[in-house]
Amino acid sequence: MVRLDKASKTYRTKHGDVQALDRVSLQIQKGELVIIRGPSGSGKTTLLLSAGGMLRPTEGHVIVNNNDIYAMSKRERAIFRAENIGFVFQLFHLVPYLNIIDNVLMPTGVGRSRFGQKDAKEWLNRLNLAERMHHRPSELSAGEKQRTAIARAMLKRPQIILADEPTGNLDPENSDEIIGYLAEYHSSGGTVIVVTHGKAVDQYADRIVYLKKGHIDKP
Amino acid sequence: MTTFRLILKEMLQRKFNFLLSLLAVVIAAALFVSFFTTGESSKSETIRLMRDIGFNLRIIPKKTNMEKFWQTGFSEYTMPESHVYDLATHGGISYAHLTAILQKKLTWEGREVFLTGIAPEISPPGKKKTPMIFSIEQGNVYIGYEIAQSLGLGKGDRIDIFGKSFIIAQSLSESGSEDDIRIYAHLHDVQGLLKMENSINEIKALQCLCIVNNEQINSLEMLREQLAGILPDAKVILIQNIASAREGQRLMAERYFGFIIPFVSVVCMTWIGILAMLNVRERRQEIGIMRALGYGSGKIAALFLGRAVIIGLIGAVVGFSVGTSLALKFGPVIFKVTANMIEPRIQLLYWAIIASPAMCALSVFIPAMSAVAQDPAITLREE
Repeated sequence: MVRLDKASKTYRTKHGDVQALDRVSLQIQKGELVIIRGPSGSGKTTLLLSAGGMLRPTEGHVIVNNNDIYAMSKRERAIFRAENIGFVFQLFHLVPYLNIIDNVLMPTGVGRSRFGQKDAKEWLNRLNLAERMHHRPSELSAGEKQRTAIARAMLKRPQIILADEPTGNLDPENSDEIIGYLAEYHSSGGTVIVVTHGKAVDQYADRIVYLKKGHIDKP
Repeated sequence: MTTFRLILKEMLQRKFNFLLSLLAVVIAAALFVSFFTTGESSKSETIRLMRDIGFNLRIIPKKTNMEKFWQTGFSEYTMPESHVYDLATHGGISYAHLTAILQKKLTWEGREVFLTGIAPEISPPGKKKTPMIFSIEQGNVYIGYEIAQSLGLGKGDRIDIFGKSFIIAQSLSESGSEDDIRIYAHLHDVQGLLKMENSINEIKALQCLCIVNNEQINSLEMLREQLAGILPDAKVILIQNIASAREGQRLMAERYFGFIIPFVSVVCMTWIGILAMLNVRERRQEIGIMRALGYGSGKIAALFLGRAVIIGLIGAVVGFSVGTSLALKFGPVIFKVTANMIEPRIQLLYWAIIASPAMCALSVFIPAMSAVAQDPAITLREE
């Protein structure tokens, strides 16, 4: 489903090159929930963004659903991402001038989408945000913002959800709720890759991958 | 979620940036509109002045050596006095005042003087005009200030010129020119004194114009051509007048605005470009998440270019209204003669609607490209 094949990523900085990923090979099967864990600077986010078609590796390949996504053109990759991958970030990244339902509907702005208002409302109901539908992100709590981001990621029912520290800014109660939604998505057959320091998601994980200095390490 | 809706919602959210950008477009459009609205009036006013005032001309014998003419102030050649009547009765020329002159520099009472014979002015048939040049009766003279002072002459005194007695009808005040050593007399008296009967060496034509159907076309060249047809042995010199001074002033104003308008446009475009760049910087994470959601480069660029086009359209309409209002309020104060010509020019609105969005889009092109080139992986990792 998702395969990294000897993927390396080097960042060029003014202080010299930083090797974020070093010939990482990893295979994640369809329907798996995999946790990527490791200390800060170990390359977790780089791995996640590379797997999501957002960050081209310096070397190696990333294969998603049998497609070498970095062999695609930028435009093809963007469409592929829109149709197959949902993202959840630690900082939510909601669009500040759109209300909650419009934020959830953001993915429908790409290509011809069969999803619309009805689906967005359904997700907002399911995530207990129906009453907040017409509120702006600035009027929501952190937990509500992250639930909105989850609804946005799941609106088009992508095959893969990539979550980068989804509970990093949340209290334990909200963290459990968010993890619960990701687990629910996984149990319905979705593939979930979560970068997290927290342990709450461990009980739902099929696998935990440890990263250290850009390498896959043993726990 | 359409691009248009995203743009509108963003503009309503970031009102300050939107209003500042709009202000820049309004200023540029209003300046453009007010200038061209009053500019047409200014042009028409000059044409009207040219038409009403006409050219002030000196018509002299064609053979005149101009070098000598400018040195002495008169032509050494003559032409028939009948030329002035030919001109006066020709239907193709309009004029306010025509007068025939014969003048010569000569020595009188041991000093050099200009003896100038002036015929009574001819006014257009049926029109009574106040004489522009004084009319002197036969047997009388007007004497210049310097002559009167040095010879102790005054009004009512008698003088003898080449054996003929004249009464000084007027002792002229100091002019600070060669007129101070001039003796003016009736043309026929001077012709008699100089034994140059029926001869003149100049015709002064004031407010002279060709008669053409189109008042917009009336140039000195046309008039010269027409005069050449009537008086083939004469040539024409233009005396600078108020109309040509006004024309010069208008051209200078046009040149000035020819500099000001591009200058203001560049300043406003830079202003819009800087605001757009700030807008791009403020929206880095938004662009990042859009990229993550699959928005392509075209859609990202459209967010910024579309925003600029909308600002340009609103700015064009508001700028047209402001510019027209300014022109209608202040234009009549400046252009009194053609004040009624200052009216809203709808074609300027069309131009503004085309040019403003295009210039706004051009201004934000670089910021839009920087938004497209932004690496979402970097912005999405920023905390």
